[in-house]
Amino acid sequence: MSEQLNNVFESPLSGKVYEGAISIQDYTNKQRWGFRGKDAAAALRAEGWKLPKAPNQIITVPGDTLIMALSQREFWFLDPSTDAPIPSDVDQAISEGMYPLFCQSSHAWLVVSGDQKSEMMAKLCGVDLSPDAFSVGDVAQTQMALINCIVARHELDGSDVFTILVDQSYAQYALEALLDARAEFCRSS
Amino acid sequence: MKIMNCPLNGPRNISEFVYGGQVKAMPDVNSVSDEAWANYVFYEQNDIGIVLEWWLHSPSSYWFIAERHNASDEIIRTYPADELFKERIDFTASEADA
Repeated sequence: MSEQLNNVFESPLSGKVYEGAISIQDYTNKQRWGFRGKDAAAALRAEGWKLPKAPNQIITVPGDTLIMALSQREFWFLDPSTDAPIPSDVDQAISEGMYPLFCQSSHAWLVVSGDQKSEMMAKLCGVDLSPDAFSVGDVAQTQMALINCIVARHELDGSDVFTILVDQSYAQYALEALLDARAEFCRSS
Repeated sequence: MKIMNCPLNGPRNISEFVYGGQVKAMPDVNSVSDEAWANYVFYEQNDIGIVLEWWLHSPSSYWFIAERHNASDEIIRTYPADELFKERIDFTASEADA
Protein backbone atom coordinates (compact mmCIF):
# COMPACT_ATOMS: atom_id res chain seq x y z
CA MET A 1 0.00 0.00 0.00
CA SER A 2 3.03 2.28 0.07
CA GLU A 3 3.22 2.77 -3.70
CA GLN A 4 1.79 5.99 -5.08
CA LEU A 5 -1.40 5.64 -7.06
CA ASN A 6 -1.29 7.21 -10.52
CA ASN A 7 -4.99 7.94 -10.53
CA VAL A 8 -6.40 9.36 -7.28
CA PHE A 9 -9.66 7.59 -8.04
CA GLU A 10 -7.92 4.22 -8.39
CA SER A 11 -8.99 1.92 -5.61
CA PRO A 12 -6.31 0.80 -3.15
CA LEU A 13 -8.07 -2.58 -3.37
CA SER A 14 -7.59 -2.63 -7.17
CA GLY A 15 -11.22 -3.43 -7.92
CA LYS A 16 -10.70 -7.05 -6.90
CA VAL A 17 -13.45 -9.66 -6.99
CA TYR A 18 -13.59 -12.63 -4.61
CA GLU A 19 -16.03 -15.18 -6.00
CA GLY A 20 -17.61 -17.96 -3.98
CA ALA A 21 -20.66 -18.85 -1.89
CA ILE A 22 -20.26 -15.32 -0.58
CA SER A 23 -18.79 -12.91 -3.11
CA ILE A 24 -16.98 -9.71 -2.23
CA GLN A 25 -16.37 -7.12 -4.92
CA ASP A 26 -14.49 -3.84 -4.68
CA TYR A 27 -16.64 -1.04 -6.12
CA THR A 28 -14.39 1.75 -4.86
CA ASN A 29 -13.63 2.76 -8.46
CA LYS A 30 -17.32 3.39 -9.14
CA GLN A 31 -18.93 6.80 -8.95
CA ARG A 32 -20.44 8.20 -5.77
CA TRP A 33 -21.19 11.68 -4.58
CA GLY A 34 -23.28 13.31 -1.90
CA PHE A 35 -24.81 16.44 -0.46
CA ARG A 36 -25.62 17.69 3.00
CA GLY A 37 -27.45 20.75 4.28
CA LYS A 38 -30.80 22.05 5.41
CA ASP A 39 -31.92 22.74 1.84
CA ALA A 40 -30.37 19.62 0.28
CA ALA A 41 -33.60 17.61 0.05
CA ALA A 42 -35.59 20.44 -1.49
CA ALA A 43 -32.82 21.34 -3.96
CA LEU A 44 -32.36 17.73 -5.09
CA ARG A 45 -36.10 17.23 -5.52
CA ALA A 46 -36.20 20.44 -7.57
CA GLU A 47 -33.54 18.91 -9.82
CA GLY A 48 -35.88 15.97 -10.38
CA TRP A 49 -34.29 13.40 -8.07
CA LYS A 50 -36.57 11.05 -6.18
CA LEU A 51 -35.32 10.68 -2.61
CA PRO A 52 -35.92 8.01 0.05
CA LYS A 53 -38.89 8.76 2.29
CA ALA A 54 -36.94 8.50 5.56
CA PRO A 55 -33.36 8.52 6.85
CA ASN A 56 -31.47 5.22 6.70
CA GLN A 57 -33.24 4.14 3.52
CA ILE A 58 -31.84 3.44 0.04
CA ILE A 59 -33.70 3.42 -3.28
CA THR A 60 -32.76 2.66 -6.87
CA VAL A 61 -33.82 5.24 -9.44
CA PRO A 62 -33.99 4.85 -13.24
CA GLY A 63 -30.45 4.67 -14.59
CA ASP A 64 -29.56 2.28 -11.73
CA THR A 65 -28.26 5.04 -9.47
CA LEU A 66 -28.69 4.24 -5.79
CA ILE A 67 -29.77 7.10 -3.54
CA MET A 68 -29.19 6.76 0.18
CA ALA A 69 -30.60 9.06 2.87
CA LEU A 70 -28.30 9.14 5.89
CA SER A 71 -30.32 11.80 7.73
CA GLN A 72 -33.02 14.32 6.89
CA ARG A 73 -30.24 16.52 5.47
CA GLU A 74 -27.70 14.12 3.95
CA PHE A 75 -27.96 12.16 0.70
CA TRP A 76 -25.43 9.94 -1.06
CA PHE A 77 -25.61 8.86 -4.68
CA LEU A 78 -23.96 5.59 -5.74
CA ASP A 79 -23.60 4.64 -9.39
CA PRO A 80 -22.46 1.01 -9.61
CA SER A 81 -22.27 1.01 -13.41
CA THR A 82 -20.04 4.04 -14.04
CA ASP A 83 -16.36 4.45 -13.25
CA ALA A 84 -15.02 7.44 -11.32
CA PRO A 85 -14.27 10.30 -11.47
CA ILE A 86 -17.60 12.00 -11.03
CA PRO A 87 -18.55 14.99 -13.20
CA SER A 88 -16.76 18.00 -11.74
CA ASP A 89 -19.91 20.12 -11.54
CA VAL A 90 -21.26 17.83 -8.81
CA ASP A 91 -18.44 18.76 -6.45
CA GLN A 92 -19.02 22.45 -7.07
CA ALA A 93 -22.74 22.52 -6.37
CA ILE A 94 -22.43 24.69 -3.30
CA SER A 95 -25.19 26.94 -2.08
CA GLU A 96 -25.98 28.36 1.32
CA GLY A 97 -28.16 25.49 2.47
CA MET A 98 -26.39 22.65 0.68
CA TYR A 99 -22.81 21.56 0.18
CA PRO A 100 -21.11 18.60 -1.50
CA LEU A 101 -19.67 15.61 0.32
CA PHE A 102 -16.55 14.09 -1.14
CA CYS A 103 -17.53 10.48 -0.54
CA GLN A 104 -15.70 9.40 -3.71
CA SER A 105 -12.48 10.17 -1.88
CA SER A 106 -13.51 9.59 1.71
CA HIS A 107 -15.02 6.13 1.53
CA ALA A 108 -14.21 2.74 0.03
CA TRP A 109 -17.13 0.74 -1.38
CA LEU A 110 -17.45 -3.03 -1.11
CA VAL A 111 -20.35 -5.12 -2.36
CA VAL A 112 -21.12 -8.44 -0.67
CA SER A 113 -23.50 -11.00 -2.15
CA GLY A 114 -24.52 -14.58 -1.40
CA ASP A 115 -27.26 -16.34 0.54
CA GLN A 116 -25.31 -16.44 3.80
CA LYS A 117 -24.06 -12.87 3.80
CA SER A 118 -26.23 -11.96 6.80
CA GLU A 119 -24.77 -14.83 8.83
CA MET A 120 -21.28 -13.74 7.83
CA MET A 121 -21.95 -10.14 8.83
CA ALA A 122 -23.25 -11.33 12.21
CA LYS A 123 -19.63 -12.21 13.00
CA LEU A 124 -18.53 -8.63 12.43
CA CYS A 125 -21.44 -6.33 13.23
CA GLY A 126 -23.76 -5.92 16.23
CA VAL A 127 -26.80 -4.93 14.17
CA ASP A 128 -29.15 -7.69 13.05
CA LEU A 129 -28.77 -7.69 9.25
CA SER A 130 -30.93 -10.78 8.63
CA PRO A 131 -33.66 -10.30 5.99
CA ASP A 132 -36.47 -10.19 8.58
CA ALA A 133 -34.89 -7.30 10.46
CA PHE A 134 -33.01 -5.60 7.63
CA SER A 135 -34.80 -5.77 4.33
CA VAL A 136 -34.06 -4.45 0.85
CA GLY A 137 -33.99 -0.65 1.09
CA ASP A 138 -32.64 -0.51 4.65
CA VAL A 139 -29.44 1.28 5.67
CA ALA A 140 -27.52 0.89 8.95
CA GLN A 141 -24.87 3.35 10.09
CA THR A 142 -22.96 1.24 12.55
CA GLN A 143 -19.65 -0.51 13.16
CA MET A 144 -18.12 -3.56 11.52
CA ALA A 145 -15.04 -5.15 13.08
CA LEU A 146 -14.86 -2.08 15.35
CA ILE A 147 -14.65 0.48 12.53
CA ASN A 148 -17.41 2.85 11.46
CA CYS A 149 -19.31 1.74 8.40
CA ILE A 150 -22.50 2.16 6.42
CA VAL A 151 -24.28 -1.04 5.42
CA ALA A 152 -27.11 -0.93 2.88
CA ARG A 153 -29.20 -3.80 1.52
CA HIS A 154 -30.31 -3.28 -2.07
CA GLU A 155 -30.67 -5.07 -5.36
CA LEU A 156 -27.88 -5.03 -7.92
CA ASP A 157 -28.20 -6.78 -11.28
CA GLY A 158 -31.14 -8.73 -9.87
CA SER A 159 -29.29 -9.95 -6.78
CA ASP A 160 -29.84 -9.02 -3.16
CA VAL A 161 -26.54 -7.51 -1.94
CA PHE A 162 -24.96 -5.52 0.86
CA THR A 163 -23.15 -2.32 0.03
CA ILE A 164 -20.53 -1.59 2.67
CA LEU A 165 -18.88 1.82 2.85
CA VAL A 166 -15.91 2.37 5.12
CA ASP A 167 -13.35 5.12 5.51
CA GLN A 168 -10.77 4.84 2.69
CA SER A 169 -7.93 4.50 5.16
CA TYR A 170 -9.59 1.35 6.55
CA ALA A 171 -10.24 -0.22 3.14
CA GLN A 172 -7.59 -2.91 3.38
CA TYR A 173 -8.47 -3.72 6.98
CA ALA A 174 -12.19 -3.95 6.18
CA LEU A 175 -11.53 -6.23 3.20
CA GLU A 176 -9.33 -8.53 5.28
CA ALA A 177 -11.93 -8.66 8.07
CA LEU A 178 -14.62 -9.59 5.53
CA LEU A 179 -12.41 -12.22 3.86
CA ASP A 180 -11.61 -13.72 7.26
CA ALA A 181 -15.31 -13.86 8.23
CA ARG A 182 -16.18 -15.28 4.81
CA ALA A 183 -13.64 -18.13 4.94
CA GLU A 184 -15.85 -20.58 6.85
CA PHE A 185 -18.67 -20.11 4.32
CA CYS A 186 -16.42 -20.64 1.28
CA ARG A 187 -14.30 -23.66 2.25
CA SER A 188 -15.17 -25.63 -0.87
CA SER A 189 -14.56 -22.78 -3.30
CA MET B 1 -22.90 -5.11 25.89
CA LYS B 2 -24.77 -2.04 27.03
CA ILE B 3 -27.23 -0.70 24.49
CA MET B 4 -28.08 2.94 23.86
CA ASN B 5 -30.91 4.15 21.67
CA CYS B 6 -29.82 6.66 19.03
CA PRO B 7 -32.76 8.88 17.99
CA LEU B 8 -31.66 8.62 14.35
CA ASN B 9 -30.31 5.08 14.08
CA GLY B 10 -32.05 3.07 16.80
CA PRO B 11 -30.51 0.78 19.43
CA ARG B 12 -26.75 0.39 19.08
CA ASN B 13 -23.86 -0.98 21.15
CA ILE B 14 -22.54 1.62 23.57
CA SER B 15 -19.13 1.32 21.89
CA GLU B 16 -20.56 3.26 18.94
CA PHE B 17 -21.16 6.33 21.11
CA VAL B 18 -18.92 9.10 22.40
CA TYR B 19 -19.73 11.21 25.47
CA GLY B 20 -19.83 14.93 24.73
CA GLY B 21 -20.28 16.61 28.11
CA GLN B 22 -23.21 18.04 30.02
CA VAL B 23 -25.89 20.08 28.35
CA LYS B 24 -25.68 23.55 29.86
CA ALA B 25 -27.35 26.85 29.11
CA MET B 26 -24.83 29.10 27.37
CA PRO B 27 -24.53 32.59 28.84
CA ASP B 28 -24.89 35.58 26.53
CA VAL B 29 -21.44 35.80 24.95
CA ASN B 30 -21.62 39.58 24.61
CA SER B 31 -22.34 40.37 28.24
CA VAL B 32 -20.90 37.44 30.23
CA SER B 33 -18.05 38.01 32.70
CA ASP B 34 -14.80 36.09 32.31
CA GLU B 35 -15.51 34.17 35.50
CA ALA B 36 -18.99 33.12 34.41
CA TRP B 37 -17.66 32.09 30.99
CA ALA B 38 -14.89 30.02 32.59
CA ASN B 39 -17.51 28.38 34.79
CA TYR B 40 -19.55 27.55 31.72
CA VAL B 41 -16.59 26.15 29.77
CA PHE B 42 -14.65 24.28 32.45
CA TYR B 43 -16.98 23.29 35.30
CA GLU B 44 -19.66 20.63 35.41
CA GLN B 45 -22.18 19.74 38.10
CA ASN B 46 -21.29 16.58 39.95
CA ASP B 47 -24.48 15.90 41.89
CA ILE B 48 -26.01 12.45 41.93
CA GLY B 49 -29.16 12.31 39.88
CA ILE B 50 -30.50 12.54 36.37
CA VAL B 51 -28.24 14.59 34.14
CA LEU B 52 -28.62 15.95 30.61
CA GLU B 53 -25.73 15.01 28.36
CA TRP B 54 -24.52 15.40 24.80
CA TRP B 55 -23.75 12.09 23.06
CA LEU B 56 -22.42 11.40 19.58
CA HIS B 57 -23.30 8.38 17.48
CA SER B 58 -19.89 8.12 15.87
CA PRO B 59 -20.70 6.12 12.68
CA SER B 60 -23.29 8.69 11.61
CA SER B 61 -21.72 11.78 13.27
CA TYR B 62 -25.11 12.45 14.87
CA TRP B 63 -25.22 14.51 18.06
CA PHE B 64 -28.19 14.09 20.38
CA ILE B 65 -29.18 14.51 24.01
CA ALA B 66 -29.53 11.80 26.64
CA GLU B 67 -31.06 11.85 30.09
CA ARG B 68 -28.98 9.55 32.24
CA HIS B 69 -28.84 8.75 35.95
CA ASN B 70 -25.19 9.21 36.80
CA ALA B 71 -25.22 6.76 39.72
CA SER B 72 -27.20 3.84 38.29
CA ASP B 73 -26.01 4.64 34.70
CA GLU B 74 -29.57 4.06 33.53
CA ILE B 75 -30.32 5.91 30.29
CA ILE B 76 -33.82 7.26 30.77
CA ARG B 77 -34.41 8.91 27.41
CA THR B 78 -32.57 10.04 24.27
CA TYR B 79 -33.86 12.63 21.83
CA PRO B 80 -32.77 14.96 19.00
CA ALA B 81 -31.03 18.16 20.04
CA ASP B 82 -33.65 20.29 18.30
CA GLU B 83 -36.11 19.45 21.11
CA LEU B 84 -34.07 21.84 23.26
CA PHE B 85 -32.26 24.01 20.74
CA LYS B 86 -34.72 25.64 18.38
CA GLU B 87 -32.56 28.40 16.95
CA ARG B 88 -29.13 28.69 15.48
CA ILE B 89 -26.77 30.92 17.51
CA ASP B 90 -24.31 32.94 15.46
CA PHE B 91 -21.24 34.47 17.05
CA THR B 92 -20.09 37.91 16.02
CA ALA B 93 -16.67 39.09 17.10
CA SER B 94 -16.64 42.37 18.97
CA GLU B 95 -14.44 45.18 17.69
CA ALA B 96 -12.01 44.59 20.55
CA ASP B 97 -11.52 40.95 19.42
CA ALA B 98 -11.22 41.71 15.74
